[in-house]
Order: sequence, then C-alpha cells, then structure tokens
Amino acid sequence: MDFFRPDSLAEALAAKAEHADAVPIAGGTDVMVELNFDHRRPAALLDLGRIVELHEHGRQDGKVRIGAAVPYARIIDELGRELPGLAMAARTVGSPQIRNRGSVGGNLGAASPAGDSHPALLAANAEVEIASIRGTRMVPVKDFYTGVKRNVLAPDELITAVHIAPATGAQQFSKVGTRNAMVIAVCAFGLALHPDQKRVGTGLGSAAPTPRPATKAEEFIATELDWESPKPLADSVLRRFGALVAEAASPIDDVRGSAAYRRHALAVLARRTLGWAWSEHLGGGRRACA
Amino acid sequence: MSILGTRVHRVEDPAFLTKGGTYTDDLTDERLAGALHLTLVRSPIAHATITSIDTSAAKQAPGVVAVLTAADCDLEPVLVFDRANKKMVRPYLATDRVRFVGEPVAAVLTEHPYQGEDAAELVDVDYDPLPAVVDVEAALNGEVLLFPEAGTNVATAKGSADPGAGFFADCEVVVTKQILNQRVAPAPLETRAAAAAWDDGRYTVFCSNQNAQGTRDDLAERLGVDVADVHVILPDVGGGFGAKIGADPEYVLVAWLARRLGRPVRWSESRSENMTGLVHGRAQHQTITIGGDRDGTVKAYQLKIVGEAGAYPAFGAALPNLTGMMARGTYDIARKHSSYVSVVTNTTPTGAYRGAGRPEATQAIERAMDLFARAIGMDPADVRRKNFIAPEQFPYEITDEISYDTGEYAKALDLALRSAGYEQLRAEQARRRERGDTKLLGIGLSSYVEITAGGGASENGSVEVHPDGTVTVLTGSSPHGQGHATAWAMLAHEQLGIPMEKITVRHGDTDQIPEGAGTMGSRSLQTGGIAVHKAAGELVELAKQRAADLLEADVADLVVDKDVAAITVAGVPSARKITFAELAAQEQLRVHTEWDAGKATFPFGAHVAVVEVDAETGKAAVQRIWAVDDAGPVLNPLLFDGQRHGGIAQGIAQAMLEEVTYDEDGQPLAASFADYGIPSAAELPSFDLVGMETPTDANPLGYKGIGEAGTIGSCPAVQNAVIDAVAHLGVDHIDMPLTPVRVWTAIQQAAGGAK
Repeated sequence: MDFFRPDSLAEALAAKAEHADAVPIAGGTDVMVELNFDHRRPAALLDLGRIVELHEHGRQDGKVRIGAAVPYARIIDELGRELPGLAMAARTVGSPQIRNRGSVGGNLGAASPAGDSHPALLAANAEVEIASIRGTRMVPVKDFYTGVKRNVLAPDELITAVHIAPATGAQQFSKVGTRNAMVIAVCAFGLALHPDQKRVGTGLGSAAPTPRPATKAEEFIATELDWESPKPLADSVLRRFGALVAEAASPIDDVRGSAAYRRHALAVLARRTLGWAWSEHLGGGRRACA
Repeated sequence: MSILGTRVHRVEDPAFLTKGGTYTDDLTDERLAGALHLTLVRSPIAHATITSIDTSAAKQAPGVVAVLTAADCDLEPVLVFDRANKKMVRPYLATDRVRFVGEPVAAVLTEHPYQGEDAAELVDVDYDPLPAVVDVEAALNGEVLLFPEAGTNVATAKGSADPGAGFFADCEVVVTKQILNQRVAPAPLETRAAAAAWDDGRYTVFCSNQNAQGTRDDLAERLGVDVADVHVILPDVGGGFGAKIGADPEYVLVAWLARRLGRPVRWSESRSENMTGLVHGRAQHQTITIGGDRDGTVKAYQLKIVGEAGAYPAFGAALPNLTGMMARGTYDIARKHSSYVSVVTNTTPTGAYRGAGRPEATQAIERAMDLFARAIGMDPADVRRKNFIAPEQFPYEITDEISYDTGEYAKALDLALRSAGYEQLRAEQARRRERGDTKLLGIGLSSYVEITAGGGASENGSVEVHPDGTVTVLTGSSPHGQGHATAWAMLAHEQLGIPMEKITVRHGDTDQIPEGAGTMGSRSLQTGGIAVHKAAGELVELAKQRAADLLEADVADLVVDKDVAAITVAGVPSARKITFAELAAQEQLRVHTEWDAGKATFPFGAHVAVVEVDAETGKAAVQRIWAVDDAGPVLNPLLFDGQRHGGIAQGIAQAMLEEVTYDEDGQPLAASFADYGIPSAAELPSFDLVGMETPTDANPLGYKGIGEAGTIGSCPAVQNAVIDAVAHLGVDHIDMPLTPVRVWTAIQQAAGGAK
C-alpha cells in the first residue's frame, strides 16, 4: 500500500489526479475502521493531515467555510453560536477522542446514511466545496449523496470544505441510539428555521439509503408558520409535520432497529424538534435539548 | 485502631497510573527471546465440512516459518466440560468440520505479527456449508446435529421438565412466562494473550488468566506431560470476569507449538477475535411458572431452562445446574422445581461470566415475583416481604449438602426501599401517569442471595518476615483487578504491625506457589484472604515461641507491639521488645498455611432502580439505583465499593445494552465494540451504595464475597423498573436488553397494535 503525504492542497490534488484509487484519510475515524476490519484494502492512502487550509474555518461570501478536516471538537467550541444545529450534531459524535479527530469532510466522504452531521448539513442547506486539478465546484448537500456510502465525487476530486450560512433562526438535532454516545444512530433528525427565507430546513439520518431532506414536510410547514406574527403551533400541525417526515423515510430493518420503529421515532423527533425550535423562535424559552 | 474496615488506597495503583501494567503481550522476558508469533486462521462460517486446506501459498509468504493444520497436530481433542456428552470433543484446530464462526482452523507462525495477518489470508480453506443450528428449538429437534456421532445436540441435562401432577394444584393464581437471559460477551479490556517456551523438557507459559495452578494442571493434562513439567506465570491481567479460567484451547496450542517448533511462541488476540473466540455468558432460555394465593403467599415455583452451550460444551453447559440450585432466591417457597437441558449450537461456546449461573436464577425469580404481584394486584414489595426466608430459619437448607448461612432479606429490602423513598417514588409515578406525561417513571425491585466460594472454600497462603523487616505474602489466589495486593497486605499488617509499604504480595507463579485455586466465584477474600490472616496469626505464635526464651517470659504473657512490629511482654512498658525482623535474622520466620472453610457463603441484598421511559420513543434511562449489598464485614470500603460499582454497571448493561446476536446462518451480528454495547459513564447514574453487614460463621472474620453481587442485584431491578414504567399500558414483560425499539414495540403490542 502506498502512502502519500502532501504538504499542500495543490500537491494533494495532483496526487489524487495521478492516483485515482488513493483513499483520502484525515482523522481516520471511518477509514481506519474499514482497514482494521479488512473491509477494504486500498492501493494507496492520501494523508490530508498536513494541509493547513483543510484545517481552517473562516468567512467567505457571508457564509461560514469549514475546512474539510476541521474536527468536530473545534466546530463545537468555535462555531457553536453560528452553526448551532451542526454543533448539536457534533456533540453526539462518538467519544471525545473521536470528536478530536473526526470531521465533517470525513462524514461526507464516507457518505454513510448514519453519519451524524448529515441531517444538520441538510437542514442548514450546506454546500460542499469540491476541488480537483480541473477546478473547484460547489454542490448543494442534498445533491451530494448518490447512494449508500456513495457520493458525487469524481475519482480525481477531494472534498475541501463545506459552506453554511450562519443560523438566522433556531436549530435542532435529535437522534435515537442504544447508548447515549459511541453508537451508530438508529435514526436521527436535524431541523433549522430560516426566518429570512420563511422556510424550515430538515434532514433525516439512518432512515434511507442516503441522508435526505423531508421535502413535503418542509413545504407543509412553510405554509403553516406565521413568520410575521408568530403564534404557538397547534398540536395537530406538529403531528402532521412529524407524519410527513416519517413518510419521507424509507428505512430498513436491521440489527439496530426495525423500519416501523424508525418511521415512528422520526415522527416523534420531528414533532419535538419543531416544537422546541418554534418555542425558541417565539422567544418564550431557552433552547431545549433532546 | 485496626486497619480492617478502613479505606486504604490501592497499593497497586501508583504503578498502573504511572508506568502502566505489564500484561502478557508487554513481556520482554528473556525466555521469550526470538519468539514466533501465532496468527490463527478462524472459520468465517458457522457450520461446514472442510473439504481441503491449501497452505502452500501462505508458506511462501514473507516471514512465515510454519503453517500448521489439524493434520499436523497430535493433541487429543478435549472434552472441555467433562460431564458433557463424551462425543462433543473439541479439536485445537478444526479437523473435518467447523462448528462456529471464529473456530481456529490453521496456525500461522511468523517472525513478526503483521506478517501473520497477511499470510493467514493466503491459507485457502474449502468449506462445504452445512445448515447452521442457531436457535435452541432447532438444536432440540435435532434435525441437524453438530456431532452426528453423538446422535443428539443435548450436551447435558438434569431433571424432568414436568414437576408432577398437583405441583400447582392448590394455587389460586398461577402465572407462567418464557423469558430470555440473553447471551452476552465478557469483554475484558485485556483480550487473551499467551506466550510459551519449551526448554529442557519443561514448558514455561505466560498467559492472561484467573488461576495459574488450575491452568497449569489443564495444560499438563492436555499436553500429555507431568504437572511438574509445566510452569505457569501470570503477569498483570486486565480483567477476566470469569471468562479466563483454566487453559483456553488457544493457550494449549501456543504451548504445543513452542515445543513443536523449538522456538518460543507468542499469541495475542484482537478485539474481533475476542468477541467470537472467548466464551460468552448467560444464554439461558427460561420458562418460569409461579403459583400462590391472593394473600401473596407463593406456594410453588418452577424453573425450566434450555441453556446454550455453544459449539463445544464448556463450563457454560454446567451453569444451568447452579441456576437451578439457586432458583428459589430469598424466598421460603414450599415447592420448588428446576430442570435444564444444555444444547450445542453453531455459536461461540459459553462459560462463566460475572455471576455465572446466579444472575440467571435471580433474574428469573425476581421477574416471577413481579408477575405474581401483578396478577394478584399487590405491591411487589409486599409480595416479597410475605415470602422471605426469615432470619430464624437459618441455616436454611437448599440441597442435601448446602444451606444458606446467614441472611436478613426483609431488612435489606426495607433498607433499600427506605433509602430510595419508595412511597414518594410511587406517588410521583402515579402523578405522571395521571397527567399523561410522556416521561414515565418506573420503579424496580430486586432481592437476591448468591453463593460465593461455591466451587470449594480452600486456599493457601504464606507469610514470611525477612531480616530487613520486609514481608513477603504468597497467595494461591489470583487477582486480575480486584486489589488483593492491598487487601492481603492489610490483613498481614493488622496482626504484625509491619507497615503496608514493606509488605509485598506475590501470586500467579506455579513454581513459587505450587498450589492455589485462583480467583473466581467471589471467593478470594474469604479463602485466600483468610489464609493470609491465618498465616499471619500463626506467624505471631511462632514468633512468640521464639521470643519467649529471649524475653525470659511465658508465651502466654507475650503480645505484639504493633507500633514497632515487635514481640514484648504484656503490661510491662519497660520490657524489652524483639522485632519480627530480629527474629527473622536468627532463623527463617515463615508460615505456610491452608485454610478451608468447608462451606460456601451466601451474600445477599436488595436493589431499587428508578428509570425514566420515554413513552413515545421507548428510550429508557436509568436515573437512580440504590444498592444494599451485604457481604458481611467490609475489609476495605474502597475495594468493596469498587466491586459493587463495576458489578452494578455490568448488571445495568445487561439489562439495557448488551446482547450477542447471530443471524440465521450463525454469523455474529455484534462482534465489535461498534455494534456491541458495553456501557459507558454516559449511560449510568451515580450509584447510591447503602451499607449493611451480616457476618457469616464460615470464617473467623465473617467475610462473604462481593465480586459478583452488584451484577446479580442490579440487572433484575433495572429490568423490573423498565417494565414497571409501562405496566399500566398492559405490558407485563420485555426481554433484555431493553432497547428503545423493544420497549416501544412492547407498548405497541400491548395496545393491540393501535396507532
């Protein structure tokens, strides 16, 4: 197995162009598991650990740009105010050790339906910055996932960053797992209020072959919410929202849970997170937490 | 003031916390110089015949010194549990058939470990799959046999499943339920490891293990050599939980390979190997039937067990027998009947795991008590009180040979309930139900009694004072995390007055300590500890006899001045003092002694668990647990509570998180820590440990064992609590682990599938 260790992004992209089968590795929280279990044995590893620009975050065109290798721990500590939904999701990732290494870029690269950051990225309408020696392109995160553990990356491309607009409204993230931490989620749900756009963003995890938004639920709730003079939501509206989120899922039965349970639990998580977020929007309460 | 009963810090910890332990895989012993590394090729298929094994490519791989299969191995297949069906023998490397995923098929020996990983992949094994026997029903019907020559899948069985006509005839209410005490993985943090050398006709074997001497005996028998030709040494051991007792097949193989290849051999398993290669625990399918009257009197109780022995019967096949013996728990039930069948299936063999047979008994009777209470509409605490064995009934005979020694079962439950504020908890539960709160409160009780030192209550120890004033204590006991070095030093210090830091405790080397029973079954303090106590007492007597002439005094007038670790004359402050060290300088001052209580002891207690269940998602969280664990007087509260903490955590984990599962082909579904739920601090509340001390008459200090009690008490309390939380919705039982999916499904089913 070859091991490439570029010092700059340009070198990394050149290496990736030359060795399309090289697997990028940053924190290694997914890649190393696969290597250790011998689930894959790539011809080469492309270590992104030395590339400074992948480990930085900053502002670009009014959005927060998070380098692909910025670990979850830093997102929690440094971006929790601007990106509360992603920070909430990041807090549920693995253990402190994993959060010190794992990154959003890695979650996107692995594209597992159970990745914790996906629902938050979907709800916040994140865009994925993808680069190759051919240039850089931006892909809305809802178009990024193409199948179970598959994404739109071409063989010569690397994920370099995600771009997310700072929150303009309340955001929530909730998941069900057997343990409270260090466990693969049974199902997860992310939600973001976008008062500036008068809409609500959603994201489902562990509920379909790919992470996905609940589009019909978003459309329904956009017509129900009165952004000009906000009022408490009727229980029937919350329940309808939950039901539409559940309908958006196409879960499977597996060792962690049944499809029926996942649908049901998503409806509950969606109803609750919307209720919490809307209460916060009303200004009545502090941020609730699952 | 005596040191006994005080909170002495562990003398083991400074080294563990600074330089770290030295585990088998860390050894740099010169006897292991130039060792080869063993990598085992393990079966990826649960049940198959092996049609061919081609090792030629592996033998050409870099660093490979040898690749061996069953054809090269002259070790006799072993009947691991000697009372199982005689045909159910286990080869060290699979011969014509594999019987579980993880069974060793070939041995690859390389200069470096990584070379073994690569070469093992080149061993080409042709498997012809057979139907896998995974569930016990399939095993019992015997359509597919793991050992066709045995003619059955039954490894061992005892008793008729029929208690006889009239067993429940006079009962006003009879409740029956099938419950599962699920298969769990012991998951010690140190996985198994062994290293062996063969030199000058003698084996030296280092391994991660709980009983050096028993393992030496196993090795000698299985290697076909004299006991004198095997030297077992246990370095630091990172947990065992009962699963590291005796010589594992891999350990025998490592020793055999060292002789066969003429070089030392080392082996250290990965976590994945450990999850399928090390024995599993529990795995009992139980049918409980309880009968009694509406006033709360339980008159009859039947426990029927189908136990999973796994692919090759080991100690797990025998454990249902212990479960049956302990079936009545803390209750004076007029008629008790138990029976079991242990069957083989295409799964990892089962063995001892913290509690080993007793948690299964407690879980069953404590679920039965709750079911009975529910059926007659009585508070579960009241039903228990109505049926407890009363203090004046002790010793309470449970078999022709065995009696519960001492117990205060009602007192323990009342103390736990009072500590928890039981009435207030019930009131809060009612309030939440009334207002339709989605966060339901559940309150679960357990009352338990368990048997410790049940496998024999003898142990040896020796105490020697050296001329420099230091002390060496040798023990046949075998710590792997418990804190013997601290506890044994306290016991020696208490009688000699020699400071703790001058006392060294040695264990786990069969040349230094040829006899010993090891550490399992919560036996150590009441056996090995008492042996040290006795040896120290005898050493004092010996010292007095030697000092008598020098002090020109009668032996009866001599006492130990503990402040200076010396013998002196009682009541004469000006009398000369002769230290133990001075006596040792004149003549070796050493006592070796045997202690045998001749009987087991029966710790007991009661736990109260409070859980909160999210009625919408089914997610249950343990909020509080109050634990009364009475194991007699406490030597060191730090060690005592440490055992309770670990035990309670593991009991909660079985109730809430852990389960080894297989698919219908016998493929393990939870064979890594990503899928198998060992507990983390985030799932556990702070524990409320409540003290109570009822001594046994089995030994002079009144000690019983505490190693497993926490697990035995907490698991049923938590399961009962979760079920109690949703009982008003019509749920009367949910099998463990109580995952959100299971709890939610039970609520749905009770509601008749509505919603």
